[in-house]
Amino acid sequence: MFYQPIVMVLSITSLVLTLYVVWLSLRDLSLMRAGRDTFVGLDNYIRFFADPRGLWALWRTVLFTVLATSIEVVLGLAIVLFLDRNFALKRIVRTLLLVPIIMTPVVVGLTWRFIFDPASGMANYLLSRLGIGAMDWLGSPQVALFSVLIADVWQWTPFVILLSMAALDSAPSDPLDAARVDGAREWQVTWYVLLPMLRRAIAIVALIRAIDSIKAFDLFYIMTRGGPALSTETLNFYGYVVAFTNFEISYAITVALILTIFTNVALLAMYGVLFPRKGERT
Amino acid sequence: MIRRLFFYVGLVVLLAAVLFPLYWVVATSFKLPGDAFAIPPVWLFEPTLDNFRTILANKTFLRAFANSFVISLSASALAVAIGAIAAYGITQQDAEKRRGQEKFILSLRIAPALVFVIPVYYFAVRLGALNQHWLLIAVYAFINVPFAISLLITFFDDIPRELRDAARVDGAREFSIFWRIYLPAARGGVVATLILCVLFTWNEFFVALTLSGRNTQTLPVSITSFLTFQGIQWGALTAAATLIMLPMLVLGMLVQGQIVRGMTLGSVKG
Repeated sequence: MFYQPIVMVLSITSLVLTLYVVWLSLRDLSLMRAGRDTFVGLDNYIRFFADPRGLWALWRTVLFTVLATSIEVVLGLAIVLFLDRNFALKRIVRTLLLVPIIMTPVVVGLTWRFIFDPASGMANYLLSRLGIGAMDWLGSPQVALFSVLIADVWQWTPFVILLSMAALDSAPSDPLDAARVDGAREWQVTWYVLLPMLRRAIAIVALIRAIDSIKAFDLFYIMTRGGPALSTETLNFYGYVVAFTNFEISYAITVALILTIFTNVALLAMYGVLFPRKGERT
Repeated sequence: MIRRLFFYVGLVVLLAAVLFPLYWVVATSFKLPGDAFAIPPVWLFEPTLDNFRTILANKTFLRAFANSFVISLSASALAVAIGAIAAYGITQQDAEKRRGQEKFILSLRIAPALVFVIPVYYFAVRLGALNQHWLLIAVYAFINVPFAISLLITFFDDIPRELRDAARVDGAREFSIFWRIYLPAARGGVVATLILCVLFTWNEFFVALTLSGRNTQTLPVSITSFLTFQGIQWGALTAAATLIMLPMLVLGMLVQGQIVRGMTLGSVKG
């Protein structure tokens, strides 16, 4: 068949690349001393688990992913339920909700950096109007991660909203009406009938958001570059620093592979929680 | 009545929260430096095109614009061409084999870009390819192929199988079934996939940051250079930002129905 060569080439490329990456992680290749790398076995992996900077980065990745995913899903669902009625301009509202999703991430980061500017930013101006003192949004190690989180929530909550809305539109309305006829209160209809119907869509959106938050890079690079004092350095960012600042190719690949393994474990766990019975394929 | 009022107030607050950052960048790009940093913020100001003049006279920025244009278009066209053939192949297989292949393609999406960017970087350094356009085009095509396959599969699945079986009875070859039946029937889907690939490639930052050289910098990378001069030139920066995202906002509106479908790879039809 004419398509088989293409499928073959794609599979072989991916396979070769994977094997090559694993092979590199077992050596100690560094661009700082090119051509003098040796086989070191699992040393890179052992090094990672004794590397406090890497472990902290892993912890921040977990924290950021859990917070971003849960806030976006809960907030998004709340907004979907709020918008779940017929009103004029609904189509336009949907179109406008696309704006954050298709806005260039680098521009999103710059915009929020502008808003969080300590002296002339909008965020501190709002705080001052509310009678609260100025905050150092991106300059304080205790706050910076949460400032990036705000930008991420702004960008991706609309995605949760649009996806759940699409699922809601294709859901049948008979069960809802039946529950109402049986005398269920509105919140009971929402909690016991509507949300279970959206379960599959919610699970998919949560998985997608989790995958993407684990790999989040653009906002961190633009807003904080991992600082201040490494307080926003996630594992993906740490891998970038190891590869492109220190040029330790092998160790960077090890970090990236650990990130990949960690992502897969997290996904399997989430998958098990979200699809407890005989799970449907996403 | 009060409920309705409450609803519309909520709606306005929501839209304000969603749109304010976009408004703020675009508005700042039309402000003079004095107005841009005024506290309290200036809501009514005399618009100026100075920032756009500055940015459009900047050769680096113009070159980045051309780079982004060439790279995202050619990489996306390549990815859709390869993706369409592969997607057709996958839809023609029996269900079990197909499931395995779809899982494999999904797993490509899960792996962080860092994993394959590092070996590619290492090779590119040795080949001296870091400053050549074909490197970025090839890498972006490779990244977009799994996405294009998964999305095109959902469009090909919408085509009734009877069409294909009828053509086969008439003695059509496999390739002409693909070329004369599947592609025309899924034309809208193919165009949407192409547009989404362009959108992602244009917006993509990590690969561009690590694998581009001085001559191949794309827009998202080039704009970060405004961050490193003494302080930040917010005027020129916001003008550049406006120019970067404007074409994508337009393209995004064109395929708005497909975006959610594309980002969930069709698992929820938007």
